[in-house]
Amino acid sequence: RRGLAVAARPPNTRQLREAEEAAPVFQYAGKAAKRKDRVFVWGFSYSGALGVPSFVKPDAGWKKPRRIQPTPYRLETEEKISSAACGYGFTLLASNTRDITKVWGMGLNKESQLGFQRSRRDQTKGYEYVLEPSPIPLPLEKPQQTRVLQVSCGRAHSLVLTDSEGVFTMGNNSYGQCGRKVVEDEIYSGSHLIHQLKEFDSRVVQVVCGQDHSLFRTKKGTVYACGWGADGQTGLGHYNITSVPTQLHGDIAGVNIIQVSSYGDCCLAVSDEGEVFGWGNSEYLQLASVTETTQVNVPRHLPFKIGKVKEAACGGTGNAVLTEEGNVFVWGYGILGKGPNLIETAVPEMIPPSLFGWSDFSPDTRVAHVRCGLSQFAALTNKGELFVWGKNLRGCLGTGRMEDQYFPWRVTVPGEVVDVACGVDHMVSMVRSF
Amino acid sequence: LNAAPGRAPRQQVRFLPAPAPGGGGAVEVVAARVPVLADHPLVRGPRFKKLKIGAGHRLDVKASGVFVLGIGHGNKLLTDLYNCHLTRVYTVGGRFGKATDDFSDTGNLVEKTTFDHITREKLERILAVIQGTNQKALLMYSNIDMKTQEAYELAVKGLIRPMGKSPPIITGVRCLQFALPEFQLEIHCLHETQQYLRKMVHEIGLELKSSAVCTQVRRIRDGVFTVDDALPRTQWNLQSIQEAIWNCQLRVETELEKTL
Repeated sequence: RRGLAVAARPPNTRQLREAEEAAPVFQYAGKAAKRKDRVFVWGFSYSGALGVPSFVKPDAGWKKPRRIQPTPYRLETEEKISSAACGYGFTLLASNTRDITKVWGMGLNKESQLGFQRSRRDQTKGYEYVLEPSPIPLPLEKPQQTRVLQVSCGRAHSLVLTDSEGVFTMGNNSYGQCGRKVVEDEIYSGSHLIHQLKEFDSRVVQVVCGQDHSLFRTKKGTVYACGWGADGQTGLGHYNITSVPTQLHGDIAGVNIIQVSSYGDCCLAVSDEGEVFGWGNSEYLQLASVTETTQVNVPRHLPFKIGKVKEAACGGTGNAVLTEEGNVFVWGYGILGKGPNLIETAVPEMIPPSLFGWSDFSPDTRVAHVRCGLSQFAALTNKGELFVWGKNLRGCLGTGRMEDQYFPWRVTVPGEVVDVACGVDHMVSMVRSF
Repeated sequence: LNAAPGRAPRQQVRFLPAPAPGGGGAVEVVAARVPVLADHPLVRGPRFKKLKIGAGHRLDVKASGVFVLGIGHGNKLLTDLYNCHLTRVYTVGGRFGKATDDFSDTGNLVEKTTFDHITREKLERILAVIQGTNQKALLMYSNIDMKTQEAYELAVKGLIRPMGKSPPIITGVRCLQFALPEFQLEIHCLHETQQYLRKMVHEIGLELKSSAVCTQVRRIRDGVFTVDDALPRTQWNLQSIQEAIWNCQLRVETELEKTL
């Protein structure tokens, strides 16, 4: 026998247990582990609206530019983003911090919808395409105290809502949508002008951009509008443009409105009692339940018997509302979410809750928010899941497929989706990690 | 089975010689019914020497629960049941804090982690995400064109299912018990193996920034057969088997008719 070596015996249970107890314990997350807030983007990237420069201009020579991002992609931001809005080829992200930089923008900037972004090559000119989230300088009186509450984007203009300094508007003003007087032959590209709006009857709590008009909702429940009105979307009783925010009357006079929504040329408002009012374009049967005309320029009450409405969302051709019980009703034209056979309807139709994850396993799943893009719909459930449906323009649905989606489909996002903003061909979502 | 009274032996009519009444010598032929000797049990031997038994979906050594067997003609029904692609339900028990190489608590230890940050709410969130991704997989592997109206109608009713080969898909998960470090889940799944369920427990542990091993896998339903129909070891005798077959026959037939 060489030496005193003994052949190893298979370890018995006691030795295994002792080895196990002696093994080191790793800690990956402590009790106070916080959930992080993240931003995910997907859709068409060549306009720069996704905020990832390597999609448009790859960092290595052999890499190809990515035209479409079909699934959610994480966007690194410096601050926690509390509000986001998608316009027509550009995006605004806002944080409610007290720091000097509160709003970032990316995407198309040909009409200064992202403010003036000084070009590094030529100090007098601005960038026409902004490829990564760049700070937007707002002319605030108290930059270290004011907080930005909400942002909204239209076709070529944007609105920024602050808590104490009113609303800031920038971008195209050829129809008065920025709330200032229309200047003939104004050149919007590379403009430094950011207009501030303060004269409302009470504090503005929500701003909404339609395609070429703007809506303001105040704390008292009144709605103001300015911008293009050829479809009656300003709701002021005429079809002309308005360059100063003017209060709306009609069926909403005296009604406490708690939410307004618009993205194309049709507008919807929800009152505190759950009633829905609409005005604007009705070429796609959006307001056909009250009138046969294709343009409605005064807010009209929509007599729907679907229960108390909590939230409304307006798309380009279709509308959706969410009731208190958590049911989603859609009407209008286009892919409405009830299969390929339902193309248009004037009366709201309910989407079965089983398509949103309601089942015997989770009977308390219900939809918490609805959002609309130009021809897409998005719904957020109380479990933090995101469902999308509609026309899949350049991959904006985020499903990973390029085909249109005729009924609600889950988007796999690694986290709990808190909010989503829909644009024409891209979407942005705010997600909390697990 | 062999002890049960068998079929009565065939009878045949034979003409037997019998002594004639009155006077010896002359033999008369009398017709009588006589059992055929070829049918006699002592000649033929026991009636049942072999039984054809087929097994349903696999259940591996470390798992327990409902295991379907088919006898004789039942084997053909087994293939039909397999093509129905019905869901199976398991109760899976897990334990946080350990990670092993074969995902169960009897394997070699790989890592130990803390788990006191895990709450029932976090676990349920992860389960919701798992259900969501598996729902998507369900729709994708069912090979139905999403653009048709029937696809929409099936999706509303929740009847879209992959009718062919597919990777394991989980149709529903629920947390039954949660008492750190142990927890128990009820999982409804299709085309799965028990090892896949153990791997899923391990992955749940990873998602929760800790680690988990699977302590128990028990199948409580396999298509139409539930734990109540199943026979425990003490009841493995002819009467109970026959009763059980009788009880299930109707259900199996309706299920097959519904699907095929």
